[in-house]
Amino acid sequence: MNLNWLDAFLITGLFSVFMVIGLALLLHLQMGLARIANFGVVGFWGLGMYVYGVLYVQVDWPFDDPWRFLLSALAGVVAAGISGLLVGWLIADLDEDGVLLGTFGFATIVWILATTETALTKGALGLGGLQFPYRLGNAKQNEALWLLILIVVVALIMLYVWRVHRSPYGRLLVAVGGNEPLAQSLGKPAFRTKLGVFTVGAAGMGLLGVMYGVLERFLETSNLGVDLTLAAVVGLVVGGTARLWGPVVGVALTVGLFDIVIQSYIPLPKSWYGQAIPVLREMVFGAVLIGILLFRPLGILGDMRRDKLMRSMHGE
Amino acid sequence: MSDLQNSAPAARPEIRVEGAVKSFSGRVVVDVDELVLGDQPIEGLIGPNGAGKTTLMRMIMHSTPLDRGRISMHPDGPGGEEIVLSDLPTFAMAGRGLVKSNQVIMDFDRLTIWDSLLFAVAGARCERPYRVFAEHDLFDAHEDEIRGYLAYFGFTDPMGFAQSAGEKKLLDIVRCLLLKPRFLMLDEPTAGLPDELTEKVMDKIRELAAAGTAVVIVEHDLNVIWSLCDQVHFMAEGSVILRGTSEEIRAHKTVVEKYLGEGHV
Ligand SMILES: Nc1ncnc2c1ncn2[C@@H]1O[C@H](COP(=O)(O)OP(=O)(O)OP(=O)(O)O)[C@@H](O)[C@H]1O
Ligand SMILES: [Mg+2]
Repeated sequence: MNLNWLDAFLITGLFSVFMVIGLALLLHLQMGLARIANFGVVGFWGLGMYVYGVLYVQVDWPFDDPWRFLLSALAGVVAAGISGLLVGWLIADLDEDGVLLGTFGFATIVWILATTETALTKGALGLGGLQFPYRLGNAKQNEALWLLILIVVVALIMLYVWRVHRSPYGRLLVAVGGNEPLAQSLGKPAFRTKLGVFTVGAAGMGLLGVMYGVLERFLETSNLGVDLTLAAVVGLVVGGTARLWGPVVGVALTVGLFDIVIQSYIPLPKSWYGQAIPVLREMVFGAVLIGILLFRPLGILGDMRRDKLMRSMHGE
Repeated sequence: MSDLQNSAPAARPEIRVEGAVKSFSGRVVVDVDELVLGDQPIEGLIGPNGAGKTTLMRMIMHSTPLDRGRISMHPDGPGGEEIVLSDLPTFAMAGRGLVKSNQVIMDFDRLTIWDSLLFAVAGARCERPYRVFAEHDLFDAHEDEIRGYLAYFGFTDPMGFAQSAGEKKLLDIVRCLLLKPRFLMLDEPTAGLPDELTEKVMDKIRELAAAGTAVVIVEHDLNVIWSLCDQVHFMAEGSVILRGTSEEIRAHKTVVEKYLGEGHV
């Protein structure tokens, strides 16, 4: 296959756009439907990535890929899910400030652990030795296939979220998010529901972290900063937290526009790459977030429309 | 379900409140020494504003925690199995047949009327995260029942959102009815409703009580109380101080002094 049009930069760019769409979709379940804020996205994502990476590299596996990959990846996903359960358990009954601090604090703990547990993670030096679970001809073909797999995974996440909107489970999330005491009085276990959505979301974020680790094949603690959480939150809020298409539209307009269009096709001074661009990116994202919250708090697509949805599902 | 309907109705459930105390910032709001609810099919709980009626009902639902005391339910009447309600979380009440409607309007702002009603009837099994294809089974199983209520009360646009305070109030009651309560507590169910809807609500309550549900109603519209209730509890300053038939309570000196005022009919 001729992949000349696809350079390494574009692969990474597209990968991060689709990955952030996936993260924002999971965040949409938590923030948009159940209304539990999560500012620790990068923590769940990073935990999945590091558990996978450390196991893959540091364990003396008696067998090779794909089993070695599959087991390490599964462990990463499960670890992220369990951490979601624990963090959810701690924050589910806190007020908004508590939730913000708790989730943000968790992400910080993940970063500190990855930085200090150098025997396992190699800390700031970075952890190498990862591989694709398959070997095609050259590196670019491997990466392109991995991008394709990621797109399929994100599409499946979106399909799941789409079904959730049309299921009793989605209604439960919206109800618990909207009026918890009323949901409880109707016999619904609100706390357990919040734990559930936090766990499922965290496991999904962990999976995306594993997939990113595979693409990079080199884990760096600098990935565990606030950028990724910010990208997912800004994308979701810009598009509309309550809408299925919110994450897609929002992330395309923020991460997509900035990381792909501006960075690839606009001639920025060479010296900006490295230090200046990431800082610029966070400033722009921060400003966009404030702007949206001020002028269109429900995002570009606006609030959910259960009336339309119900009519489309049940007639009239 | 069908077993229950085929066999003779079990005895009405009963709720027992013993030494239940609740204070807010040092002020005792409820202090009920001994109270049995559910003796009669429909009982009223009346008393002046601030008497503690709503707080007492919330304590029974355990949505307001007790300072001390004990509240229990005998689902099959006195002598049968006992459930200590004051040890259970609020969400466990509906599953045990205990349901309460709300005095202040409570609604889910982003759910439509149909949503809200389907939510009320949905069991935990169809609400699991992986049951993403369960909607149509749920809808088919409850469509007729829900349509029945919607037609009976005449909601304007059931696929849309509840329009008025009255609709929200009714919606709250219908959600409770859909839970098929064995013990139903209604906190001012007809407040703000036009007469014709008040009548409809009252008819439903009678129907339910006739089928074996125990009903307790808090109301300031005393015509509702006198015409529905087989027994009335009078509450003032946090305590239930009198119990009797409608006639007895209506004529009682204390009730006239503290609540009805002179010159009532
Ligand atoms: N959460 C609360 N915090 C502080 N005080 C409260 C709270 N809930 C109720 N109260 C107080 O407790 C007292 C009893 O209130 P409650 O609502 O139970 O009365 P009520 O009998 O239902 O009155 P009404 O007929 O007006 O509905 C009132 O003085 C009220 O101000
Ligand atoms: Mg009250």
